[in-house]
Amino acid sequence: MLAVFKRELKAYFASPTGYIFMGFFLLICGIFFAFSNLLTASPDYISVLSSITFVFLIVVPVLTMRLMSEESRQKTDQLLLTSPLSVTGIVLGKYFAAVAVFLLTLLITCLYPIILSFFGTIAVWEIVGGYIGFFLLGAAFISIGLFISSLTDNQVIAAVVTFSALLFIWILDWVIQGLPTDRISGIVFACALVVGVAALVYFTTRNIFVSVAIAVVGFGIIAGVYFANEYFFDGFIVRTLEWFSLLKRYENFMMGILSLSPIVYYITFSAVFLFLTVRVIEKRRWS
Amino acid sequence: MIQVIDVTKRYGQHVAVDHVNFTVEKGEILGFLGPNGAGKTTTMNIITGYISATEGTVKVEGFDILEEPEEVKKRIGYMPEFPPLYMDMTVQEYLDFVSDIKKIDRATKKRSMEKIMDLVKIGDVRKRLIKNLSKGYKQRVGLAQALIGTPPVLILDEPTVGLDPKQIIEIRSLIKELGKEHTIILSSHILPEVSAVCGRVIIINKGKIVASDTPENLSKRLSSAGRLSLRVAGPEKQVLKLVRELEGVKNAEVQGVKEPGTVDILVEAEMDIDIRRPLFYALSRAEYPILYMKSVDLTLEEIFLQVTTEEREVS
Repeated sequence: MLAVFKRELKAYFASPTGYIFMGFFLLICGIFFAFSNLLTASPDYISVLSSITFVFLIVVPVLTMRLMSEESRQKTDQLLLTSPLSVTGIVLGKYFAAVAVFLLTLLITCLYPIILSFFGTIAVWEIVGGYIGFFLLGAAFISIGLFISSLTDNQVIAAVVTFSALLFIWILDWVIQGLPTDRISGIVFACALVVGVAALVYFTTRNIFVSVAIAVVGFGIIAGVYFANEYFFDGFIVRTLEWFSLLKRYENFMMGILSLSPIVYYITFSAVFLFLTVRVIEKRRWS
Repeated sequence: MIQVIDVTKRYGQHVAVDHVNFTVEKGEILGFLGPNGAGKTTTMNIITGYISATEGTVKVEGFDILEEPEEVKKRIGYMPEFPPLYMDMTVQEYLDFVSDIKKIDRATKKRSMEKIMDLVKIGDVRKRLIKNLSKGYKQRVGLAQALIGTPPVLILDEPTVGLDPKQIIEIRSLIKELGKEHTIILSSHILPEVSAVCGRVIIINKGKIVASDTPENLSKRLSSAGRLSLRVAGPEKQVLKLVRELEGVKNAEVQGVKEPGTVDILVEAEMDIDIRRPLFYALSRAEYPILYMKSVDLTLEEIFLQVTTEEREVS
């Protein structure tokens, strides 16, 4: 894992990728810092952290598009997968390399609050908490990018799809507000989910029996839940989509609240996408 | 050393490798021969654990690729058809990285890297970026990568493809040299290459093993048709008539006239009859001197044709 980590980290700075990421990130961060802190003489640094999250949409695809897709295009995955490394080790090495570049950039931006502290008092712990949230949010976005990069051997496609996925998460809270919350639509949505899972199983395994069994069990669970607690499906769509609402959890950090549950949420979110990445690579070897 | 047990690989409806069984003994150099798309690369990818077999398994030194993949992968050095090189690294950085992922001891790493770079003669390009190297050098870096950690088994997929004749000879003698210490499986679609290097040959076609023998036996078995090419000084019609009347000659035909006053003919003998001596005496008695006579090697296509039709007759 360490060898892959070191190689990836070097590769970021042997190509323009690392510099583009850092440069763009620092530029945007600097502009916001100048306008909302320096020019207005405001010590409210945390508002910078909350307004620059949109920068992830552009820089995370730059950081992650190459990670897995370039390996399969250049056939270097043959070297990695026939070496005594585990797939998990390879994926983790790559993930941590991307996270390390991000962390390094974040450390540079720490200069801004330090500059502010020369001119007045700043809320140190609030800013530390804000940074933790910002870091976890970025790490979760990177795990999505890594996952998408493992699905294709074309960097451009990886970048565009990652951008779209992040954009979707970005507008998710806004979309959720417009969704129906009544019971019927909740049940319909649950049924659609079950059908989707069954169809996915069918297209990956071509086993009609297992797919039908999954669908039947799924509908059974829905019916069971409905009879046990009929209020369960009120607002079911909204609650399901809120699982993916990375930004909603981020608001807590911005208000200076540092609680355990969003931290666990972000780490779990990243872990799930890393696990999916490992599965995709393993599956490609079996198909 | 290596046991390939009933390995099958299916891609949807297409069967790439169909119940392949063979074993390779320690110290053997095995040649894997077959046309493009015969399943050579797929078989090699399965042995090295790059892809998984649909059915069957592979054992290396008793370790099963499915149960203990890391133990198997530690023992194999693989050079795929397209060497897996990182273009943004120098040769030295790359080999250093490969040593790390193969978990080579820090203490011995440097020395073994030097030894390998000497062996494949890439010491003079060690500081250069891989993307700037020529095809031949890239191929050698690919081979160096497989040698790192001196694994007991080497698997080389078409190691000489795309090289110039001088490099081909060098790589071949290098492989022979390596065969003293490693067990090697080598794939190729060039027959002379395999017979020059390998102790045993497996011919694979459409995912199935169609023949497995030493190169000598294989060519003996395959050249039993006994085809000879002759150049005889004499009139075309008489020479042809004389040859055709000879006992044991199945067929004879004129190939053309390349030297004035001579004729080139292709003679095909009956099974298991050596007609070279009778041919010589008959023509010399008639005072038509033979200027040259040589047996015609079967081309790879003909061998495949022959082997595959033979198999059909057996089954």
